[in-house]
Amino acid sequence: MDAIVEQLLLILRGLTTTLFISVLSFLVGLGLGIPLAFMRVYGSRPLQVFVDLFEKVFRGIPELVLMLLFFFGVGFYLRFPFKSAFITAVFALGMRSAANQSQIFRGAIRGIGEEQFVAARSLGLSRLKSIVYVLIPQAFIFSTPGMGSEYALLIKDSSYVWVIGAADMLEYADRIRKATNDLVTPYVIAAFLYILLTFPIATWLDTWGSRRKRKLGL
Amino acid sequence: MKDTIMACQNLWKVYGKIVAVKDVSLRISEGEIKLIFGPSGSGKSTFLRCLAMLTPPTKGDIFLKGDRLTRSDVDLNKARARIGFVFQHIWLFRHLNALGNVELALRRVMKLTKDEARERAMQALREVKMEDWASHYPAQLSGGQQQRIGIARALARKPDIILLDEPTSALDPELTGEVIDTLRDLAKKGITMLIVSHEMPFAREVAEEMIFFDEGMIVETGPPERFFTNPDSERAKRFMARLIKRTRRD
Repeated sequence: MDAIVEQLLLILRGLTTTLFISVLSFLVGLGLGIPLAFMRVYGSRPLQVFVDLFEKVFRGIPELVLMLLFFFGVGFYLRFPFKSAFITAVFALGMRSAANQSQIFRGAIRGIGEEQFVAARSLGLSRLKSIVYVLIPQAFIFSTPGMGSEYALLIKDSSYVWVIGAADMLEYADRIRKATNDLVTPYVIAAFLYILLTFPIATWLDTWGSRRKRKLGL
Repeated sequence: MKDTIMACQNLWKVYGKIVAVKDVSLRISEGEIKLIFGPSGSGKSTFLRCLAMLTPPTKGDIFLKGDRLTRSDVDLNKARARIGFVFQHIWLFRHLNALGNVELALRRVMKLTKDEARERAMQALREVKMEDWASHYPAQLSGGQQQRIGIARALARKPDIILLDEPTSALDPELTGEVIDTLRDLAKKGITMLIVSHEMPFAREVAEEMIFFDEGMIVETGPPERFFTNPDSERAKRFMARLIKRTRRD
């Protein structure tokens, strides 16, 4: 029992790295994903093609390949910022997340419908203000189930960073395996922690979203 | 002679081969209430949306207090900020409560401070007798209550004119009364309104002029009395007969 607690505490040292990589890449994805979604729905034809291409590229390449490509390939020429495994991970995960969140948000914007936009414009709100004050808040509510799974995906896929060498939860679990020759316990503990990080938040977002939707009649 | 608030001259709206609005001219003076009616699909809504510059007209001019809104260098956001618009299907912002719906443009278009905006918004809610419902979301309100919020939202900026596109026709019959009462209150306050509606008793009571619209054109204009007794055009005669028959049956 003591051994398990000891292992757990050790693996938890990687918690901040795992969390920081996941949350930061989620924010990068959100910050890029929202404008991309609006460009796809309301932008000119070339912009729409650009967004489609962006989504195809970053959703089509396996995350592990992306990370290796940036860390070793791009990092060879551009030592800053791709020398850092942490930044490379945030970047590689953030780009794919932007592609995913763009798609999620696009669906949400379509769900809102043109009427809300027309009503906003009728008051004298500019295009941008209508988007910021009327469309985005509603799109957030529509996109909650998708955003929950996207967050869970990032927590899980942040473990790829182990390959390029950042001290996340998986890295500590692996160190324990090497030091103790215990092939099972450290990975089971890590698996348990990953579930603990993903499941409650994704579920909470989902419930919050559906409750909000019911209240607002969306 | 009262000041002209809104006018349009030889207004056209064409979608491809379909002519939705055909050479319409109109003038509304301060405090005046005019009512547009006519068969569905006759271009009334399109015409109203052109006036509000929500869909720019294909040809012709629109003036608001002497400013030509159809000039190419007009700031459309500023122009729209001076016009109130009430939609047939209401279209309240579903993520905001009643107060939030009314406040939004006061804060983000008129740039009032939080306190000023709240004050003005509550004032508008009082005018439609919805001040006790300020914190309710649209989905928690009846259709009639929603439309009164829609009117408050259009009213709060103190626009030069309010355009209303069939404000009661999407409501259940038992809910139209409260909206009509609200409009009657506004009429008493001298607010300039152009209303598309088929609420005939209301029209007779408040409208200075009725405008019969068909196939994208103004067919006949005149005081309500004339439409109710003996309209000039054959088309208006037939339409009025149908309307009156329907009203009796209700």
